[in-house]
Amino acid sequence: MNATTESLPPSSTHRYQQPRGRRALLLVGRHSVLIGLALMFALPLVFMVLQSLMPITQAKTTALWPDSMEWGNYRTVFDRIPLATYFVNTLKVCVVATIGTVVSCVPVAYAFSHLRWRGRTAVFVLVLSTMMLPYQVLFVSQYEIFTSLGWINSILPLTVPAFFADAFSIFLLRQFFLTLPTEVMDAARIDGASEFGVLARVVVPMARPGIMAVALFQFLFSWSDFFGPNIYLADEKSLTLAVGLVRFNTALAKTGESNLTMAASVVFVLPILVVFFFAQKVFIEGVTLTGTKG
Amino acid sequence: MARRKRWTVLAFLSPWLIGVVVFVLYPIINSLYWSFTVKRYGQPARWVGLGNYRLLLDNPDLSMALKNTAYLALIGLPIRLFIAILAAALLARPRRGNGAYRLLFYVPSVLPAVASGALFFFLLKQGGPVASLLDLFGIEAPLWFRDPDWAKPALIMVGTWALGDVMLIFLAGLVDIPRSLYEAVELDGAGRWARFRYVTLPMISPVIFFTVLTGVIGVLQSFDQAFVLSQGARKGRLTGEPDGSLLTYAMLQLRYFQDGRIGVASAMAWVMFVITLVITVALMASRRRWVHTSTESA
Repeated sequence: MNATTESLPPSSTHRYQQPRGRRALLLVGRHSVLIGLALMFALPLVFMVLQSLMPITQAKTTALWPDSMEWGNYRTVFDRIPLATYFVNTLKVCVVATIGTVVSCVPVAYAFSHLRWRGRTAVFVLVLSTMMLPYQVLFVSQYEIFTSLGWINSILPLTVPAFFADAFSIFLLRQFFLTLPTEVMDAARIDGASEFGVLARVVVPMARPGIMAVALFQFLFSWSDFFGPNIYLADEKSLTLAVGLVRFNTALAKTGESNLTMAASVVFVLPILVVFFFAQKVFIEGVTLTGTKG
Repeated sequence: MARRKRWTVLAFLSPWLIGVVVFVLYPIINSLYWSFTVKRYGQPARWVGLGNYRLLLDNPDLSMALKNTAYLALIGLPIRLFIAILAAALLARPRRGNGAYRLLFYVPSVLPAVASGALFFFLLKQGGPVASLLDLFGIEAPLWFRDPDWAKPALIMVGTWALGDVMLIFLAGLVDIPRSLYEAVELDGAGRWARFRYVTLPMISPVIFFTVLTGVIGVLQSFDQAFVLSQGARKGRLTGEPDGSLLTYAMLQLRYFQDGRIGVASAMAWVMFVITLVITVALMASRRRWVHTSTESA
């Protein structure tokens, strides 16, 4: 985002054109809209944390601020549902699927950006068109494939497809690869490097931020995914956090223990927020890249 | 040499090639065939021609699901895009504090749909935080997810809360607008609105196109939040409580799938595919009329 700073109009040219009073009014207007939006985005999260700390007697009232911070709620959640097991299951799916996505999409994206071959554009359009395909069309038949392989109730249906390059990650990586200078690659080729060598030793090191973005998006997707685990995992011990959380919440909707549902939500969400906090630049660049045309 | 190169390309493409055949092409053909049959898993399919499609045609649940989806696309999506553009426009110029705002606005969109669903179920429940806040202003809160008239607006609220990724895409588009364009219209004495109308809007129209297209496709497939907010499967049935007001297309299809009626589920999948295709083609065709294709300058 830094490079673009210069392309913006210098604000000084506007300043003396506008009467002072109007400028102040605009400033106030702008800030009140921003603060309003900030409250709208932040308050739900604040309420989530506050509710997760409320004693049960208070959670059922209209109170907004906990009388006493009930950290024990988090223990209660861990006691009531096998949260640690869900956590490990989820982590397994995320790590394996992320590895699969990176390993499979990097060479494919390279073939679509820095290898020249006939029909490249046409095939790439085909890749993009599969992005439009609703998952609803695919899972009905995929389910039978996985059933006949005996993969139901395991993480395999949620991880193995990741090793076969999905369209979105290919697209994102290709966008990133296209920004890399071709001179370095050509130099490596002249030095006798094979295409695999160019990819491994030149492109991958340069494209690390792009690869990180794709990995993070896959990790986040697997962490959040509800639809897939909901169909493929039935056994209580095999559930991921997303499914476990929904079942827990559905069960607790009747008892009104919203302090516990919110505590479980915090446990579910916290790792994402931590990762996000440390990798915000990667996230933001990744999303930005999604919207630019190639 | 040329031959070796062909093999290299094939080798690099192989993950996608295998994947697209096994996990995309085969399922597509399979489900197309199944959509014309009565099919249960582990049993051979029995041909019924257009039977499944005819069954869907006079299914009141389907028209309900389609109506709900249209509501979310025609009302929810514009609200989401409008606020995203507004937020992006306010943050486009580098100012102190913008980085923090940008981060804060983006955070809700990284939350899993299941988590934001659970969160809003709590926020909007009877006697919950939103009801308490409205009470301060003497407004009686509606029952949201218990009232068929308010359930969809409440669902839209959750989607609007998570607009951060769309905002970032707009922000990137706004920041890319060359300043010379603004200077040019300012010389003509253009005011704030004219600058927005004749420079900003045309310049970000490709981004609007992209977000509308992906947004509509997303709405068509929406499931997680609606599922959580209708409190999941009531007595094991995906009904989209209250009174079907949250029944989405994907939810209805999953119901047929879980009932083991694979033929009907496949037919629904294909109808969805065709709807997606028609909308995409229609949007693409409308592009010439309202999407500005930038010249070399950009």
